[in-house]
Amino acid sequence: MRFRTQLKNTRTFFKLTASLSSLGKVCWMRLEYNVVRFTVIPDQGTQVWAQIPVDTIFEESSYQLESNSDAINIEINISLLNRALRSTFGASSSQLRLTKKDKVPLLALTVLTTEWTEGNMALATNEATPQPPASGPTAQNEVVGDRGARERETWVTQEVPIKILHEDVVESLHEPHCPDPDVHIILPNLMQLKGISDRFTKLASSDSKGRQPGIVAADQATSTTGATALSTNIAPKLELSANMHGKLRLAIATDELRIASVWSGLVNPPLDPAHITQDQYSQLPSERMREAGDDDEAGWAKVRIDGKDWSRVLSVGRLSPKVVACFINETALVLYVYLPGSWNGEESCLTYYINSFTT
Amino acid sequence: MTTLALSLGPPALVRLHDVLICLSKFSDTVAIEAEHDLLRLSALNSTKTAFASFACERALFFEAYSFTVPQSTAGSGAGDRFYCQIYIKALLSVFRGRVDRNKDTAVERCDMELHEDPQQTECRLTVRMICGLGVIKSYKLTYEPASIQHAVFDRSRSTNQWIADSRFLRQIIDHFSLSAEQLDMYSDSGKAVFTSFTTKIMEGKEVLKYPVHTSVATDKRDFEEFLVEDNMHIAINLKDFKAVVAHAETANAAVTARYTRPCKPLQLAYEFEGVAAEFTIMTRGEVESDTAPSLSRTAISQLSQRQTTAAPIAVRRVETPRAPSQNAQMPPPPPRARPIRPLNGTSTQEHLSLSTASEQPTASALSMEYDSLFVPADDDRQWDEMNEEEEEPQDILGWDASGRPDASEGTLRDEEPDFPKMGGKRKREAREEMGIPPTQRMSQVRGFGLFD
Repeated sequence: MRFRTQLKNTRTFFKLTASLSSLGKVCWMRLEYNVVRFTVIPDQGTQVWAQIPVDTIFEESSYQLESNSDAINIEINISLLNRALRSTFGASSSQLRLTKKDKVPLLALTVLTTEWTEGNMALATNEATPQPPASGPTAQNEVVGDRGARERETWVTQEVPIKILHEDVVESLHEPHCPDPDVHIILPNLMQLKGISDRFTKLASSDSKGRQPGIVAADQATSTTGATALSTNIAPKLELSANMHGKLRLAIATDELRIASVWSGLVNPPLDPAHITQDQYSQLPSERMREAGDDDEAGWAKVRIDGKDWSRVLSVGRLSPKVVACFINETALVLYVYLPGSWNGEESCLTYYINSFTT
Repeated sequence: MTTLALSLGPPALVRLHDVLICLSKFSDTVAIEAEHDLLRLSALNSTKTAFASFACERALFFEAYSFTVPQSTAGSGAGDRFYCQIYIKALLSVFRGRVDRNKDTAVERCDMELHEDPQQTECRLTVRMICGLGVIKSYKLTYEPASIQHAVFDRSRSTNQWIADSRFLRQIIDHFSLSAEQLDMYSDSGKAVFTSFTTKIMEGKEVLKYPVHTSVATDKRDFEEFLVEDNMHIAINLKDFKAVVAHAETANAAVTARYTRPCKPLQLAYEFEGVAAEFTIMTRGEVESDTAPSLSRTAISQLSQRQTTAAPIAVRRVETPRAPSQNAQMPPPPPRARPIRPLNGTSTQEHLSLSTASEQPTASALSMEYDSLFVPADDDRQWDEMNEEEEEPQDILGWDASGRPDASEGTLRDEEPDFPKMGGKRKREAREEMGIPPTQRMSQVRGFGLFD
């Protein structure tokens, strides 16, 4: 078993791991010859299945993978990997490899930085610091002369402990199957959407704090039937709905307040005609939804989602992706998150599966 | 009656706040020690492995400073110093956010006063903030008497030294994981390597909770000065190091580290705007057996604490600026000098009671001083394998609680060279008289033919 590669686009890799770690710490990372898959399945809440082509984050020419099963399955604390990747900022080369130390398998990140990122240290030292206690003036001048002209090398090694998963273990893990969506729509700017969602969640939860008993009672009924059963979670649920006429509505309702934001003029992307015949196309639930008028409430598909969980999902906005939201009315919301540069091209895609809470 | 009155301008006030923040990372209380020409703020952590001290110079740091002690006490042991200690959080809350130049009521001057009179029942530290628009804020803080302890560190004996810009050190720290606990330093062929690690023993199953192991190898030339023995690992608490670097960065200072070898104290020092900062931190690590076979016992540092009456070498050393070249040429201490420890000091009563809990005061202080074959009668622990760092005995700093003023500085240096010589003679005498001392283990003397 062997894995070694040079990294590229480490900012993307860093942001990707940051987004994944917001959902859960334990990540299943599957290295294949052409793609790298990241899967986070938390005990509660949204799960994410990501598929990244090797050359998005790794230098393809240096990518080495050897395994009997044509893939290496790793369990890793993704937030530790994320933290380690910070060391690659401003680096001239970064290498990631599988290794072992004291019988503990590791993912070792080796970073070479040829210059400190924050300017010239020697110059700053010379100007700004008071004379160090034990160095005479002559000595310091010599030292500065030496330091100024040279490119300096710093090696950083980060050893992240991992667990190797056997192929048998991961065999039972499958990506969820969903019915065809009722509505598919491209989400507006995620920063704006997150800002408004967070604001709504905050308003509703500060409202519920004062009146907790009532809310708890109402919510318990919800969670016993709720698919993901966030039983202890009394956070109010956001209502997200969309239609096939480019409209998205975000709303929240508690006993005391009812707020909604509506976006219009969004795009309902066409499905890839290569995969579906014309006949099937007209049979799709989304086409039936399209037939409903713009103002017809029947043309809207709605899901109820946990505000905090949704906020964690939207943290993927840091990658500035394009997001297609697929609504399965009252059942689930599936987000296809495409990284920039891979839109409709190489399938660099994160898929989020969000269950809807029933009312 | 002892009185202390001082005034601080806004810049010094900010500095003082930074200093208190830094001290609060070591202890809950700050010890305040007033002398005629300086005010020292210090803190000692609860495990007594780290001691932080800031000496503020009268002329440079303060706008006004006056300190008087009654004549009667001046002659007694306490000397012309005054000690007290204050809860840091109380003091911090007084200084927090006081210098905001944009506000009309920003602090323009801070006056602090302290009158201690045995006749008076209420003695308080009074802090008055003179603010803009005629606003005056007064605070009265309680303090308590304290016996001031200083960690002992003899700079002239340190054999390893580096100087680095605090921002450079900060950039090294930035790579470490937040949960890392220890910092290991060593140098290897042109590289200075800093490694963060955690000694916590992890359960086998929770592999993913293992800490990340980070090592940063920098070029020696990134240091202003780097004179360190190759391949000698020395480890300190990362939290302490972070606290020092964070403060040094606010002061924009270059940090000097001095140390001798593992399990001996390390000192980080820097100066800024009339303040001399010194952090004496106990180190851990393995003493290399090939260079000093008889020394490869961590118990040495424990022994040193039990010394009670040995001459207090090295009190605190006033900054004596030396050219680095001079340092480089500084001859290595005589071979026997290193075993004797560069750290030497008198233990305080408090300290004694702590450290003797598990050990018996055995034999004579003399025999232990030199780490000969003699071992304490019942201290079995030091025979345990010492390869595992987590099993090392907790090291504790040595102290000087003599309360002596710095005036003795000049004579100290003269005494030092005598010490090893004198010690060697006495040791020889001891050997001749005692032959094999009664404290020696039978297992130890086997192999010499006598007891086989």
